[in-house]
Amino acid sequence: MTIFQRIKNVFTGLVTLGLGILFIMERDNEAYVLIIIALSLGLAVRAVRDIIYYFTMARHMIGGKMILFQGVILLDFALLTASLSDVSKVYILLYLIAIHAFSGMVEILRAMEAKRTVEGPWKIKFSHGIINLLLALACLLFIKNIIAALIIYGIGLVYSGIMRIISAMRRTTFILIG
Amino acid sequence: MQEDFHYYATYCAAYIAGYSHEESLDIAYSAQFVDVCSRTLLSKIKGPLNAATTQLQLELMDARTDPVGLQDITRIWSSFHFLPKNLLAEKKKCTRHYLNKYRLICGPNGELVKKTVELAKGKPLQSVGIAMHVLADTWAHANFAGTPSLVINNTNYSFYEILPDGTEKQVRFVHKASAPDDLENTVYTNSLYQSSENSIMNLGHGRAGHFPDYSFAKYRYLPAWGEYEEIIKDNPADYMKAFTQMIYAMKFIRGENGSFETDAYDTESVSRWHDRIDAIIRKRQLIASDDWKAFGRELSGQDIDDFETGRYFEEYTSAAKENRDDTFLGRFTRGALEHKGMVINEIFKTGNLLAGFSKEAIMKNLEPSQEVGK
Repeated sequence: MTIFQRIKNVFTGLVTLGLGILFIMERDNEAYVLIIIALSLGLAVRAVRDIIYYFTMARHMIGGKMILFQGVILLDFALLTASLSDVSKVYILLYLIAIHAFSGMVEILRAMEAKRTVEGPWKIKFSHGIINLLLALACLLFIKNIIAALIIYGIGLVYSGIMRIISAMRRTTFILIG
Repeated sequence: MQEDFHYYATYCAAYIAGYSHEESLDIAYSAQFVDVCSRTLLSKIKGPLNAATTQLQLELMDARTDPVGLQDITRIWSSFHFLPKNLLAEKKKCTRHYLNKYRLICGPNGELVKKTVELAKGKPLQSVGIAMHVLADTWAHANFAGTPSLVINNTNYSFYEILPDGTEKQVRFVHKASAPDDLENTVYTNSLYQSSENSIMNLGHGRAGHFPDYSFAKYRYLPAWGEYEEIIKDNPADYMKAFTQMIYAMKFIRGENGSFETDAYDTESVSRWHDRIDAIIRKRQLIASDDWKAFGRELSGQDIDDFETGRYFEEYTSAAKENRDDTFLGRFTRGALEHKGMVINEIFKTGNLLAGFSKEAIMKNLEPSQEVGK
């Protein structure tokens, strides 16, 4: 991980941490709106970056279309997320829980792959995924008690933020060249 | 390529080209030293950091991948390990940024190899060693570029080893650095897939691990830049060409040949040992040092000292600063700087700024691509 990637990860971690704390402290509409804006903006930036990268570079690469598909799907998610501001809180929370659970699943799958082919700290990734998934499940269980669900979700964000900052501090893995 | 070829095989080639045992050892040491002369090493002996010819894993982990950081990486890896084959290569309907990376793809018999060998003529043996390292690597590292690039250097599952009996086996890449490559089951260590274009994981042949460095390896795969056209890379044949081209090049440097032409090989000098050399190259093993060493001993009748990184450190560090250029490592670092300067200048002259600005261009106040009329 380069120093710029570390800075980026620390920044993202701090924003996530801040949003988590905000969710726990202020359980009103503003917290929702902020989360929605941050999420949709983040997704949109990544989507546009992927699409530009495809048209300028990756369209000449074997398997480069995957980068275009990834960009288009991310853009879809960004637009969907941005359109959620007028929907009832419960549905927004459900949507956020689904995203959290999905990222937990992806983390677990990546950790399993890492265990099989990569030497390195796969256990941290795996436990991160499991905790994300469990937090999402807990939110679902308490969905009728909206305040409890919000607090659990906030704790999840705080946890993700801290983990991201910690991983930015870790030494990166070995690379290999001629 | 590894120590077996850069050190022991280079010794053999130098001896066959007419150098004495001692001279051949110096050339071989210099050729192998290219793979260890990092900034960490140079700062330890208080040498010029700009003369670094490689980067350690630890240095790369923290290397910047912003434009300036990328230029630094490209200067080292394109100059010494992935010499570009054609700096004016064309590809239709692509952006300038893509083309700049595409033009850095390494390959043998390019104009830069000729310039590399010509630059070493009349220079100390250390420069000859550097040139032989660069020349040899153009064969092993062909089709990869010495700059981080997903769109050029990536590999995928379509990667098959062609075994001596003609059968094919899919190569499985894993990312376990401590486990040695498993030749029997064709399981090799590579760098992690990173979708970021400039990730350090996408430098050189990292995505294919050490596999392209094995002389026995014959494989077919889809290079990321190849528009779905498969490449069959025949290392046994290529390594023989590398060996005979080194002899041809060193004969030119010694003044025995009038000129150095690309795609020319001294097959005559090795004809009586051809089968012996071919057998070493084709033997499936992780490192062929013992076999090349035995062959070298047969050639010269002398024992070949094993490569020891610090062999000339004491001579360099104990010399007065003004006399350091006359030491073994002083001549090596000067040779490395001259070679690096030449390559950067050639890249810069084509309007490609991936390796940054060359000193020569700055001195002459040249604009990029001014000399090639672009």
